[in-house]
Amino acid sequence: MQAHREIAYSRRDFLTRAGAGLGWLALAALHEEQLQAAAPGQLRTHHEPTARSVIWLFMDGGPSHIDLFDPKPELTRLHGQPLPASFPRPVTAMGRTAHTPLLASKRKFARHGQSGQWISDWLPEIATCADDLAILKACHADGLNHVGSVCQMNTGSILGGRPCLGAWTTYGLGTVTRELPGFVVLTDYPEDPPGGGRNWGTGFMPSTFQGTRFRAGKTPILYLQPDEPTTTAIQRNKLDLVQALNRRHQSQRSEDSDLEARIASYELAYRMQSAAPEAVDLARESLATRRLYGVEDKETERMGRACLLARRLVERGVRFVQIYCGSGSKWDAHANVETNHGRYCRESDRPIAGLLKDLKARGMLDSTLVIWGGEFGRTPMSESGLGRDHNPWGFTTWLAGGGIKGGVSHGSTDDLGLYAIDGRVHVHDLHATILHCLGLDHRRLTLMHAGREERATINGGKVIREVLRRV
Amino acid sequence: MRHWVLALAVIATATMATAAEPTERPRLFQPPVRPVVPSVKQGHWPRNPLDRFVLARLEAVGLSPSPEADRWRLLRRAHFVVTGLPPTLSEQRAFLADNRPDVYERLIDRLLASPHFGERWAQHWLDLVRYAESDGFNQDALRPLAYRYRDWVIAALNANLGYDRFVQWQLAGDELAADEPDALIAAGFNRLWPDEYNAANLEQRRQEILDDLTDTAGLAFLGLTVGCARCHDHKYDPISQKEYFALQSFFAPIQPRDLPAARSAEWAVYRQRHQQWEQASRDIRAEIDRLIGERQKTARDYTLTRFNDDIQKAVRTPPEKRTPLQWQIALMAQKQLDRAAAEVPNKLPAAEKKRYQQLQEQLARLGPEPTLPMAMTVNDIGPDAPPTRRLIGGDWRKPAGLVQPGFPEALGGGQPDTRLPAGVISTGRRAALARWLTKSDHPLTARVFVNRVWQHTFGVGLVATPNDFGVQGTPPSHPELLDWLACEFVASGWDIKHLLRLLLTSATFRQDSRVDPNNDGHSKALLADRENTLLWRANRRRLEGEVIRDSLLALSGELNTRMYGPSARPELPAALGKAAWAADPRPEDRQRRSVYVLVKRNLRYPFFEAFDQPDLHNSCGRRLCTTTAPQALLLFNSDLSLGRGRVWAESFAESSDSRATVRLAMQAAWGRPASADEIALGERFLERQAVLYRNQGSTAEQSRQQALVDFCHALLNTNEFLYID
Repeated sequence: MQAHREIAYSRRDFLTRAGAGLGWLALAALHEEQLQAAAPGQLRTHHEPTARSVIWLFMDGGPSHIDLFDPKPELTRLHGQPLPASFPRPVTAMGRTAHTPLLASKRKFARHGQSGQWISDWLPEIATCADDLAILKACHADGLNHVGSVCQMNTGSILGGRPCLGAWTTYGLGTVTRELPGFVVLTDYPEDPPGGGRNWGTGFMPSTFQGTRFRAGKTPILYLQPDEPTTTAIQRNKLDLVQALNRRHQSQRSEDSDLEARIASYELAYRMQSAAPEAVDLARESLATRRLYGVEDKETERMGRACLLARRLVERGVRFVQIYCGSGSKWDAHANVETNHGRYCRESDRPIAGLLKDLKARGMLDSTLVIWGGEFGRTPMSESGLGRDHNPWGFTTWLAGGGIKGGVSHGSTDDLGLYAIDGRVHVHDLHATILHCLGLDHRRLTLMHAGREERATINGGKVIREVLRRV
Repeated sequence: MRHWVLALAVIATATMATAAEPTERPRLFQPPVRPVVPSVKQGHWPRNPLDRFVLARLEAVGLSPSPEADRWRLLRRAHFVVTGLPPTLSEQRAFLADNRPDVYERLIDRLLASPHFGERWAQHWLDLVRYAESDGFNQDALRPLAYRYRDWVIAALNANLGYDRFVQWQLAGDELAADEPDALIAAGFNRLWPDEYNAANLEQRRQEILDDLTDTAGLAFLGLTVGCARCHDHKYDPISQKEYFALQSFFAPIQPRDLPAARSAEWAVYRQRHQQWEQASRDIRAEIDRLIGERQKTARDYTLTRFNDDIQKAVRTPPEKRTPLQWQIALMAQKQLDRAAAEVPNKLPAAEKKRYQQLQEQLARLGPEPTLPMAMTVNDIGPDAPPTRRLIGGDWRKPAGLVQPGFPEALGGGQPDTRLPAGVISTGRRAALARWLTKSDHPLTARVFVNRVWQHTFGVGLVATPNDFGVQGTPPSHPELLDWLACEFVASGWDIKHLLRLLLTSATFRQDSRVDPNNDGHSKALLADRENTLLWRANRRRLEGEVIRDSLLALSGELNTRMYGPSARPELPAALGKAAWAADPRPEDRQRRSVYVLVKRNLRYPFFEAFDQPDLHNSCGRRLCTTTAPQALLLFNSDLSLGRGRVWAESFAESSDSRATVRLAMQAAWGRPASADEIALGERFLERQAVLYRNQGSTAEQSRQQALVDFCHALLNTNEFLYID
């Protein structure tokens, strides 16, 4: 029960305190937050995990569930009419959309796969993976706007200051790789999601566990190389001087393991300088693979690269990869769902399907939990005529791989797709389920902070057992 | 005293939840009583009473203090603890050459009198109040006036403002000293919460702000996790949910405002000038109003429709008929309406836009509209407070019974004294809270603060959980010493520098940090008290990111010591793209001390972030200290570090004596003379590195300088530079 809040009695004793940000060797001098995370490769699970890694495809801006996975014939019937009086009128982000006419979806829906899952014609490639997906149709969240909602989807709270789920994961499980960060964040566009780095930050948890933003280019990590490159021999000789002086210093302070940890951190950083560029070098992949992900096609290249890179990172032991798709709130279709979603579906459909197929072909899907979803869905009421407003009261998220039962659909929204009604899944439930797949019990993964035993799911969270392959 | 409390209890019981029995009050919740200074066997060791408390504990378990650190280490330690800057070579020489017996005491006096003291210690306070210069949330809009609060903290510490006033002004400067510009600026404490001005749900936003403010005030001033009682009675500490909301009600009437912070003479000049400007500009402004007034009204009206009925009603209610709560909500909405109105000129049809611009030019020709210095501060919505209700589960949608202002029974309870200076229109609630917190027998205020000062002086507090003096916190390692210091502090008039002088000149502070494996006492102490809770030696500490950056700049000779004013914007990596701020055009402006670097919630300065800067949303009483590879990458590859090595190396370029260069550089970086071995190591490196550069095609002259740059840069990566013994 107390595994994750042992009192680090002799805090300088633990040389290899693993975290993961990029980090590890977190010699956390913690009294307030007494914690001890697992060493590299040493799992601290509460039960047998079904997933070793997570790839979270975050549709930044809020994709419309009623145009993608949740068909609503009743909405088509009531197109142009106001929201019926039988529906409670929500406080919407844009305020007025509670009173605007309903907007039918122009998409064609069909059943796909053996399981006959409903998927719209905007996602023809993902539709071919229908039997791998567990579609959660009754998700709901607390925020109204992007920053609070993206924040909650990551940290459980709409207010900043808490660790994100990737941080909780690396805190709980440590890292497998010592040459790469355990938690990596990718974006398809240069823009950050709303709230920026706070979404992969650690809040009150040590920064060791934070996500590392990989950027496009050969040096994906900030400060991986000096601006003016030098030769390996020159770099190494300089590092050798640092290390020689540090070892002299440490030899007179042998009781202090912090100093030893810092010596080790320089060697790790040095190794990372070659490991990270290797990991991001997609030229090492076959043409067939690059095509599978759409890397060779201009329209799908951005998301294709991110998905392919995610697979390479997971292969190399990275535990938690998050891809912001349409980063910078691109899915935020206030003005026109058709043009907006048309574009971002085209950009992401093939890469995402490619990822699922490639993982499956390589036998990695069973141990990799793939999550697709946004911070909220969109309203059946129109905005500016052809757009849709934010809908945190009912929206779709799907899960695949990593111990998830494929070909199932869980929960439902009302006849218009406005409110989640049956099989409701709150953000905390989603988080509890993700942690569960990773072998962590969300009620037992705790961290003492400011007098409270904090956990990822705050006071809530229920594992959605209906979608687990093994209950 | 007790009778007085009991008499008031008649009133209090009507509003207060179940009060803990006095006998159940945890010891730290009772007023400190000055304990007798213990007697010790090794009577020669103590230099002041605090040493006696430390020594008595050590003697009781058969341990002895460590010998005094050598003068090099003492000098370096004192410099970093007090000013956050390394001693210069000349300061090192002067200190070592001074043989007067009180050389160390005079050093401490000199450091405490240095303006760098306030800069160093302000950062400790800013961590606690989650100071930032931007809103956070999505827009992360900058707060151009926030720096004045930071500057006030620095100046207040340098001027040795008593801690009682320091607290009073932050909580209620607008109520207690409305004519004092500094007091208004200090009350900016009440504005430091993250904000989203364009939220749609203003009732929710208002409640989130009040929660945040109450929780932060509880942590910063009381050292208590009162926020735990927001959703339910505190699970561990004797604070009920009702008492939480009773504390929150002190803040309930606040209204965020940017107000002039000026003295009456400035006001007089301003009024006269402004009147002149108004007259001169009357016709132009009237025409501008004719041009855009109607459109602005339309923009406001349209924006108002985004809000729910209650909010719209609050705005539409005539001001004289608004309730205090309606006033607060209306003013929050007003900000959004104003923004919409401000957009109108940009959207004018071409002809009108042209005319508008002409008018603006005419206006500009009259000179800028006279202004007064402004403060980002608060005042109360009026003499009447909006109601505070207990919220079931802390949920703003579930209000329960009304709650009146009051103090937790477990901390002695009492009736709020809401008296106000004549002429101040306010509720007096925050003034009452400030008075209560700074009464001389308050059980927590002084204890919590002296513990913070102890922590920043010694590395670990007597209570290791500085923001949690409750049952879940770590009990004090030296409870009598904590009480003695608290009593001494209050008796000295809440004199912060007096307290620091006591700590810094103690024998306890002067101990060596190193463990000598051949010393039997040390072997025994390591076994008995590895964590050094009993203070048998000094704690080794890694410097904070801000201090490392300042030291890099100090060594390279580039540190710009200009104090105060709008924040500095140092360079950011190009990879950050559009999110990055534009660096100050003049390089010297980017090289000011770290405390002046812009604090943006959604974009923390990468170097500080890597070195455990708090997250800027939560009060941080004690920073974490991690050791990570990104830190190594930053120090080894970033331009901040490489560039300082380069500039520092230039200062040695004139010298042809590489041995002297190595010796001087090591002494500057480490604050002690280097040994012959170390110097030889440095010399060998310079030779080898120069060969490597020559192999790459550098000339002999170039390669010599390149090697020297690398040598200087390497020193900036050594542990001896990053840690204080």
